[in-house]
Amino acid sequence: MFWQNFKYNLKLILRDRSLIFWTLAFPLIMALLFNLAFSNIENSEKFEPMAIAVVENAEWQKQEIFQKAFAALSAEGEEQLFHTEYLSETGAATALENEEITAYLEFQNGQPKITARENGINTTILKTVVERIGEQSQVVQEILRKNPAQLGELVRQEAPNLKDASRPHLSYTMVEYYTLIAMTCLYAGMISMTAVNRFLANMSLSGRRVAVSPTPKRWLILSGLSASYLVQVFGLALLFTFTIFGLKVDYGENFALVLLLSLVGCLAGTAFGVFVASSIRVSENAKTGLMIALSMFGCFLAGMMGITMKYVVDTNLPLLNQLNPANLITDGLYALYYYDVCERYWSNIITLVIITLVIICISIWNLRKEQYDNL
Amino acid sequence: MKHKKNSTAKLNVLEVTHLTKNYREQKAVDDLSFAVSEGEILGLLGPNGSGKSTTINCILALLKYQQGEIRIFGEPMTPASYDLKRKIGVIFQEVAVFDELSVYDNIDFFCGLYITDAAERKAKVEKALQLVGLTKYRKYLPKQLSGGLLRRLNIACGIAHEPELIFLDEPTVAVDPQSRRRILDNIKKLRDQGATIVYTSHYMEEVEELCDRIIILDHGKIIASGTTAELKQLVKDRSVKQVVGPTLNDVFLELTGRELRD
Ligand SMILES: Nc1ncnc2c1ncn2[C@@H]1O[C@H](COP(=O)(O)OP(=O)(O)O)[C@@H](O)[C@H]1O
Ligand SMILES: [Mg+2]
Repeated sequence: MFWQNFKYNLKLILRDRSLIFWTLAFPLIMALLFNLAFSNIENSEKFEPMAIAVVENAEWQKQEIFQKAFAALSAEGEEQLFHTEYLSETGAATALENEEITAYLEFQNGQPKITARENGINTTILKTVVERIGEQSQVVQEILRKNPAQLGELVRQEAPNLKDASRPHLSYTMVEYYTLIAMTCLYAGMISMTAVNRFLANMSLSGRRVAVSPTPKRWLILSGLSASYLVQVFGLALLFTFTIFGLKVDYGENFALVLLLSLVGCLAGTAFGVFVASSIRVSENAKTGLMIALSMFGCFLAGMMGITMKYVVDTNLPLLNQLNPANLITDGLYALYYYDVCERYWSNIITLVIITLVIICISIWNLRKEQYDNL
Repeated sequence: MKHKKNSTAKLNVLEVTHLTKNYREQKAVDDLSFAVSEGEILGLLGPNGSGKSTTINCILALLKYQQGEIRIFGEPMTPASYDLKRKIGVIFQEVAVFDELSVYDNIDFFCGLYITDAAERKAKVEKALQLVGLTKYRKYLPKQLSGGLLRRLNIACGIAHEPELIFLDEPTVAVDPQSRRRILDNIKKLRDQGATIVYTSHYMEEVEELCDRIIILDHGKIIASGTTAELKQLVKDRSVKQVVGPTLNDVFLELTGRELRD
């Protein structure tokens, strides 16, 4: 019985042209557009150490941890982050005015203060570094006592976007491809939403037929979801094949983990679709519109239209991106590519799984209803 | 066994007692009671909005209702009455088929909700195709069918599993005369094969032709019931007509008005 229904669910999905366009073809078109739009920028994009200044006064002399940290981060090498000048307060202000530096750091009453020309990514990175060193000062002190050489490494680990930026070949395009994978995952929701809608008596006429039949709707929903998932995994396979072989995108060494996160993301997308199908009673077209809008907004916050957005949200509204499935997928892939340590990757996967489980539980609760006040 | 000996006491396939259903404040079905015995075609006749569909959806346990009891084959009907549902076939008022699936696949899908054995199902789907006369359209998509053929597909999807109790909710609305003839003949054939049928319509003459017994509904209430002959007598008899009053008259006016426009 499962196979009979599964077969028909597949047929229903594959014959829905607009659904197939959005879920299978649209991501490929986007990939092509990104490739065209970013291929020029990519070549000129190399991270230059950022010119900053530190106000060298009596207060600074007290900040032993910061001194060592900035010395480590300004050491020449492939991963040099700062080009630090040590100036007087007026010297620093003049240098900023003359645009010789992007920002300067000063301590007043033991508190760090950053003065910047503008609030760009560079300033954000400097702020993050200073914050992390401040927050982790106990750990830093501990390390200073035991093995001062480890300090630079710790700062790098603790300040994620710092390390991204300090990579010699920072690739903006990669982030775009990651958001694209996230979008494709979330679009699984469009398929599953349509699939589930078919079997709900209060949502569709076919659902009424199901409701009066001796087959409990949960079996139909289950087969519909399996078919949806399969189709969107195929969509992901298309996207990977196209980007890897057609656009020569390099997803790094841990491709298996890239796939794992994509598969989990696709599951989250599928669950999202069930959630929308079961909780909101509007027309199917309205639901599709809602799914597209929400997915795109999530991807936008995750940096699809420019990575600055991701920095801004990560910095100012961290919770929003920590709960945004599009960002969890993007960020996990990103972490995988840029870090040697995958803690952030795993924490993203776990969050994604938890969100998925919560959504599924709410959906099951919504779906349990079998008799309605009106149809 | 007992039933067979006592030929006058036919089993009640469906029993509705004191069914009341409100949509918010609006009363759609008002303390409705009736029974359908085995092999009978019961006609629910009434103008639009008189509560026919609501009654059927309550009987099928799709809708919650404020009051009343529904028994099918002697057992209470609930959403989880899967054994009862197995014996029931429903043709809803609106055409409910998948646009993406062919005629054959649609019938096969919905029949598959009842019949799991593939060979048995194949035979039943063929039989249903033949009954409604869609055999040569089996590969067509619903959008390639005319309104009448689409209605016939809708019926095939509801009865392919050969149910013992069939609900047909206005199956002939907006159907060309040929298809209507065919549909009425199909229903008679289903009855001849032993099915019990509840048939709703707002066409007086359809009900008259098909049904063994008729219930006339208005505003969710029974305003008259009986065999065709009994009802005709009721209309003819002026004094009774005054008692039953303008409502019954309204029903007929409504019906004739519709007929002219068709
Ligand atoms: N979903 C609904 N919500 C509110 N009122 C409804 C709904 N469906 C039907 N009604 C009302 O209930 C009454 C009976 O409707 P219905 O059962 O569809 O009548 P019929 O099938 O005889 O045309 C009508 O007055 C109609 O307006
Ligand atoms: Mg109706």
